[in-house]
Amino acid sequence: MENSLEESGERKLQCSDVSKCFQLLESILDGNDVPDSKEILKSKLAKCQPCFEHFHLEQAIKEVLRNKCTKHEVPSELVANIRQKIEEIK
Amino acid sequence: MSEVQRKKYTEQEKNKIFDGEFMPHIDSMYNFGYRLTFDEDDAKDLVQDTYLKAYRFINSFEQGTNAKAWLFRILKNSFINDYRKKSKQPSKVDYQEVETYYNSDDVDYSMTSDLRVDSVKDMLGDEISNALNSLAVDFRTVIILCDLEGFTYEEMAKILDIPIGTVRSRLHRARNLLKEKLRSYAQNMGYNTDEEG
Repeated sequence: MENSLEESGERKLQCSDVSKCFQLLESILDGNDVPDSKEILKSKLAKCQPCFEHFHLEQAIKEVLRNKCTKHEVPSELVANIRQKIEEIK
Repeated sequence: MSEVQRKKYTEQEKNKIFDGEFMPHIDSMYNFGYRLTFDEDDAKDLVQDTYLKAYRFINSFEQGTNAKAWLFRILKNSFINDYRKKSKQPSKVDYQEVETYYNSDDVDYSMTSDLRVDSVKDMLGDEISNALNSLAVDFRTVIILCDLEGFTYEEMAKILDIPIGTVRSRLHRARNLLKEKLRSYAQNMGYNTDEEG
């Protein structure tokens, strides 16, 4: 964690409950309905270095996955084939 | 998919639902099919089969509910029940990986990764894609549903027929495995992952 000391300000370097915190952070990042999520996120990221690092790493991975793994072009004939088959079973 | 059929939609309504609520998801469906099978023709068959089933069982779809989740559930079931049997291809599973991570409810949240945000951001599409593709299918699936398609844990639980707690733990394990793969790519790229950059 030494590499982030400078930017960590007053963040504590040990998280008191890693599994609970990381689980909560991932739930928020994944768009689940977490009560008071904005406040929780703000507070955890401001006060806890492991939470700060975990959140930002997960966020970066999520972004590259979404940007780089969803661009498969649908074969042009697929839609036409589906429509044709549907007409056959109608 | 519910087997209970309610005769309620007219032909016109069926077409409206199919075109307005089902077809807009074809890109996501094809991407899901491709990432499950790694084969364009198999992905096409899987998606086509899913849309035919969706049309056939359209009366069990409640208008206004989540069509995308409904379609993904059909595709996932088709993949398990039809594709895997037909191809007689055992799922591409690293059994040691499964043994180590899968059969336990304990999730190690204390496992930290020295992977850096900057090295993740600099990765090429192929590297990210290969890392995702290298995961066992059940782990790959939760990442696809959550990170690529933006489903919530509740929606994923319905798509996969597993409890939310299992969604959560499987996703966390999948992410740990993915980070390990990305970490090795980062090292190969010359990024120093564990010292000050």
